[in-house]
Amino acid sequence: MIRGATASPTGRESSTVLHPLGQQFSPASDRPQNLIGWIFGGTGLALFALMALVGLGMRLVQAETIAVSPQWFYRLMTLHAAGMLAGALLSMMGGLWLVVRSVVPGLSFGRAIASWLAIVLGVVLVLVSVLIGGFAAGWTFLFPLPFEASGQWSTWAAVTFIVGMGLVGVGFLVYCIDVLRATTQAYGGLTGALGIKWLRGKDPTGPPPQVIAATAVTLQGIICSAVGMTIVMALLDHTIDGDVALDALWAKNLTYFFGHTIANLIIYLAVGMVYVLVPLYAGRQWKLSKPMAIGWLFTIAFVMTAYSHHLYMDFVQPGAPQMISLVASSAAAIPVAVVTIYSGMMLIWGSRFRWTLTSVLLYLGFAGWAIGGSGAVIDSLIPINFRLHNTLWVPAHFHNYLMMGVGLWMMAMVAFLLERAAGRPASRRTTIWAPLLMVAGGYGFVFSWYISGALGIPRRWAVHPAGTEGYSLVASVFAVVFLVGFIMLMAEFISLARTALERRRASSAGPTLPSVAGASGEADPGLDHAADPLLRTPFGIAVTVGLALVASFALLPPISDASEATVGFHHLAHGAQFFIGSMLAVALASSPSIARSVTARWTNAGLVTVVLVPAGMLLFMVPAIYSEIDTDNFLHASYHFGVLILGFITGLGASTLGRTAGWTVLISSIGMALMFAAGVTGG
Amino acid sequence: MEVSFGGFQVAVLAAFLVVTVALVTIFVVVARQSTRNVAFGEVTHTGYRLRRYWFAFLCLLLGSGVILALFFLPYPGNASGTATVNVSGGLFYWSMTPDTIPAGSEVSFEVTSTDVNHGLGIYDPDGILIGSVQAMPGYDNQLNLTLEKTGTYMMACLEYCGYKHHEMLKEFEVTP
Repeated sequence: MIRGATASPTGRESSTVLHPLGQQFSPASDRPQNLIGWIFGGTGLALFALMALVGLGMRLVQAETIAVSPQWFYRLMTLHAAGMLAGALLSMMGGLWLVVRSVVPGLSFGRAIASWLAIVLGVVLVLVSVLIGGFAAGWTFLFPLPFEASGQWSTWAAVTFIVGMGLVGVGFLVYCIDVLRATTQAYGGLTGALGIKWLRGKDPTGPPPQVIAATAVTLQGIICSAVGMTIVMALLDHTIDGDVALDALWAKNLTYFFGHTIANLIIYLAVGMVYVLVPLYAGRQWKLSKPMAIGWLFTIAFVMTAYSHHLYMDFVQPGAPQMISLVASSAAAIPVAVVTIYSGMMLIWGSRFRWTLTSVLLYLGFAGWAIGGSGAVIDSLIPINFRLHNTLWVPAHFHNYLMMGVGLWMMAMVAFLLERAAGRPASRRTTIWAPLLMVAGGYGFVFSWYISGALGIPRRWAVHPAGTEGYSLVASVFAVVFLVGFIMLMAEFISLARTALERRRASSAGPTLPSVAGASGEADPGLDHAADPLLRTPFGIAVTVGLALVASFALLPPISDASEATVGFHHLAHGAQFFIGSMLAVALASSPSIARSVTARWTNAGLVTVVLVPAGMLLFMVPAIYSEIDTDNFLHASYHFGVLILGFITGLGASTLGRTAGWTVLISSIGMALMFAAGVTGG
Repeated sequence: MEVSFGGFQVAVLAAFLVVTVALVTIFVVVARQSTRNVAFGEVTHTGYRLRRYWFAFLCLLLGSGVILALFFLPYPGNASGTATVNVSGGLFYWSMTPDTIPAGSEVSFEVTSTDVNHGLGIYDPDGILIGSVQAMPGYDNQLNLTLEKTGTYMMACLEYCGYKHHEMLKEFEVTP
């Protein structure tokens, strides 16, 4: 049995919903898990449905079946992509949380809700920006397009959109920090939670697979969010002062690192959920294995280095990232195909698999991931990309693995919750017909794009080349077929929800679901435990103080004077000051007498600090703001001392998050300052 | 603007269809075998053995793709064409100097942008997309191409740039 997993409190669904042997692997069904599942899964699916309708409208416009101005088309295109990203992200964040919470009780319900709120608020701002403000620069808001509106939108709309996407990043960052903090504290640090200790024979049992997935994804998520926050802050600085110049290639690198990585991580969030759900229907446990643990380590390396394939056609991009991306983009398929999907197939083969609506959707999701991934790998080969770049092949492959992979897994997650709550599987008719219609419609839809891509039709065109409207019309028909299946699925969901409510009313006099601390505000006895200090030994503290001292040479007049020569060097000096402050704070907070009093009670404050302070520092790195005080020596020195204090506060905040999450977020914060210095040059 | 299938793109599509058919076959077979009752030990015994071959096959396939790709990179390196054509993208136009090119000559397109990011896609007289390169503000991207066919070529924007993105087109002539 999975460590910490608990049986369903009712135990009634086992005979009808799950495989007879699958019940023992069922994740707990306590109140926080159910709430997170419903809130995240419900919001995600609602966004998916709404944005799917927007997408169908766009295809009908390209088919010249309905008429919409290009201005509105591009607004809807921007909304569709940002909304789908947020919806899929929310769903799979909830799906992973749901299955990890069973084995990592330290996950905070409140912080999960805070991340949901941030993302939903971000989506609201995106809606306002697009529908009221007319913003239509695409979800990637590639600099300098948000500020070159051609009269289509005003600056406030651009700022609202950028802040909205920033909030989506903040929500994901909060989630990642809390999940990484909890998994690494529960499973012996980063090496324990990634299964490295188990691989080295130092941990006899190793972490459950979903913990490895959660740890790997959230580690990358923090880095990805930090990069996203840097470009968001740089764009806001440009808004404050138009003279702040951003290097276009630098901006593109940061934007695609953020966009590519977060889109990829959605799939890997889902994998953690799949590790737990598939065994319920196969009656076989998805066990930790050496290929799995090793595969995840390679996946981290490949996902973090593959983003540059978005810049293949930027010939001025240095050769190293292009070549690394060429290898990483293909190599990323190996852990997926050889470990994850292959292991899933072995689990299912000859298992007397229990086919329900949930398990059908889970299974079809594997196929969508595999086929769409193949289309992506083909496009990641540079000579092929040369002739397919930004044609309709691109939306073909990512819709293939997002819509027919992650999209079906989003539905599977909600179906799982509903079938479990109702204590019965979905009707046989829906179990067969809804997936069948969605598969027929979905693949017809994406294959019309693959063919159009081979034809050379550009993506993101409101009006397609003359004579090619038929492809869009065929795609629209298939999209309608998909939607018919989806509506059938929704009708079944309503039926299951009714059964679940009746069942709940009938059993209301019976035993209540167990509750976990944090869901309803009751005191968590773990709050008084000291947080894991970032530095454990006097030697570590001495080294950290030494690093701060070395960096403090940047404060000496010859260097600090030289740093005033250019804006880039000046911002680099800010990075050094931030570094000094953060290192001193870490050393101070790790000293035994203080470390004892840094308890989990401070985690919320620490989390707010590490999210807001580094971003705030970048927001004020606008020459128009600080140049006024540069003329006064005292004010100038005070300003730099202020940056050091911001680093100090961030270091203290990171010290409340445990060793792994604390260091990851702190190093990412310092990285934000350095990245900013590298690309923001004007002002 | 007219588009048509190029042989290269059709070959890529055909390769992808072969992969898709193979994958669909695998998923159908596994689904059909899913309702049987086979001891998991038997499944893993055979499965782990087959996985080694699967791993080797994928490494070979993907590795070959990557190595092959290295021989056909579109990047110019230090090479420059016999003729230079300066291309500049702006909202929502292309400017090009000179605007006629002799057939058969290797042309270095020096591509930049005056405002936002654009993408230069070049379609031959048959409407086949023969290559693309990004147009970025502050940077010159060099694209070397040999244009063999005579006739009217089309430049189209392949990087979303605003509400007239799809209208950002320009024809040029390749003369005998």
